[in-house]
Amino acid sequence: MAKIIVVTSGKGGVGKTTSSAAISTGLALSGHKTVVIDFDVGLRNLDLIMGCERRVVYDFVNVINKEASLTQALIKDKRTKNLFILPASQTRDKDALTIDGVQAVLDELKKEFEFIICDSPAGIEQGAQMALYFADEAIVVTNPEVSSVRDSDRILGILQSKSMRAEQGKSVKEHLLLTRYNPTRVESAEMLSVADVEEILAIPLLGVIPESESVLKASNQGQPVILDEEANAGQAYADAVKRLLGETVEHRFLEAEKKGFFQRLLGGK
Amino acid sequence: MTDTCFRMKGTTLTSIVLEVIGFEPDKFESQLADKVASAPQFFTRSSLILHLATGLSATEFELLVALCRKFNLQPMAVRGETEGLKNTINDLGLADVSQSKFTESTLKSPSSSETEEAVAAQKTPVSKPPSAAQLKPAKVVSRPVRSGQQVYAEGSDLVITAAVSEGAEVLADGNIHIYGTLRGRALAGVKGNAQARVFCQSLDAELVSIAGQFIMHDKVKAACWKQPAQIYLEEDTLRIEPIA
Repeated sequence: MAKIIVVTSGKGGVGKTTSSAAISTGLALSGHKTVVIDFDVGLRNLDLIMGCERRVVYDFVNVINKEASLTQALIKDKRTKNLFILPASQTRDKDALTIDGVQAVLDELKKEFEFIICDSPAGIEQGAQMALYFADEAIVVTNPEVSSVRDSDRILGILQSKSMRAEQGKSVKEHLLLTRYNPTRVESAEMLSVADVEEILAIPLLGVIPESESVLKASNQGQPVILDEEANAGQAYADAVKRLLGETVEHRFLEAEKKGFFQRLLGGK
Repeated sequence: MTDTCFRMKGTTLTSIVLEVIGFEPDKFESQLADKVASAPQFFTRSSLILHLATGLSATEFELLVALCRKFNLQPMAVRGETEGLKNTINDLGLADVSQSKFTESTLKSPSSSETEEAVAAQKTPVSKPPSAAQLKPAKVVSRPVRSGQQVYAEGSDLVITAAVSEGAEVLADGNIHIYGTLRGRALAGVKGNAQARVFCQSLDAELVSIAGQFIMHDKVKAACWKQPAQIYLEEDTLRIEPIA
């Protein structure tokens, strides 16, 4: 049975697309046939981060409007096998997404894929609601600062009231992904800590991605950061994918670097 | 001094209800003796409402009242199966409160109906305690109330077993109980019930209101900050008090 996972946040610029790219790549690397859909119709970023922008011929809206078949629109990832990308249209706006249209596409994808990752646009309007409507699970990407936490809280409320599962009286499984985490700044009280965010949002922690230059570098190179095995952020995403697949993995990179190895090992939560 | 000799007022008082399940004089007497002996102070001259769960004959009823009086209990009203006992009840100077309209009519205006005169004779109108069916069950929410969400418990209490986020709003016509952190807004007694209260496990609210009176974050912060607390209305002022 295919699992639909929405990557959402409410607030923009927190790392939804980076996380969608990394997580879908991670799932595909673990041998699960995965498709990642860009719901950010009109802006189109996922293909850039996945490094396939020059290969986009047809897009999600073309498929919804039956101007192209899914097979024509799906882009097979060059680096990772089992991974496909369904890019957004840059010439349309989010009103092009309709419940029926999205459902038809998802139903078709479900027959072939194990994981369907929906990269949500920012905001809480039509585009974001379409991305989360059919979700079985949600990865809520949050930065350790108050406005991001507030927006995540808002989107969690929408997930549990306006998604299809909510309408059926079921619940959407929630995961917290804390990105751009900087332990040094947490220590100097410039940033909220993991515990602060967990206390406010009260959902299980999927992973903490440290703030890292490697993320920006990877984005610019069009290569999901999870493929950078040297980088903290890449390793943290790999851990998060394992947790998503049900493994128990200790959280890393929660303490500032200057602390000794043993302290990190023993003191970390 | 005014010319008026008296004023009619409505009142509510708590009273003991003696529920008669089956009436066998000897058995009843010995059981009642035991009961009264168990707490003589409590039962002496305490007013009593007789609830007839079973139909009694006039003689049986008179005997019942006599037995009660023998043990220094003061039956003042009767309810339940009073069919066929109307006259006996009147003769004994008791009120028949089997009709629920009784409560309303005594509060409206004094009239000359027999039942009410009987009550006036006892000086204390008695309203029936609300039965369980009249209480609307509290609305229970077990998920966090998130920013932008609103929960309203109409005509009842609201119980939330999770946190109320900043930017969320919880409202109730009755009390609000939050077994989590209250970071958002809580409005109790929104239809004007000044007796309503807000209880929470940890007080960090943006706003708390009771029956239209409200306090904002800064005032909340000055008292019981992040502590278990209750907020209630006392003489038009909201009070915040810790709950140990």
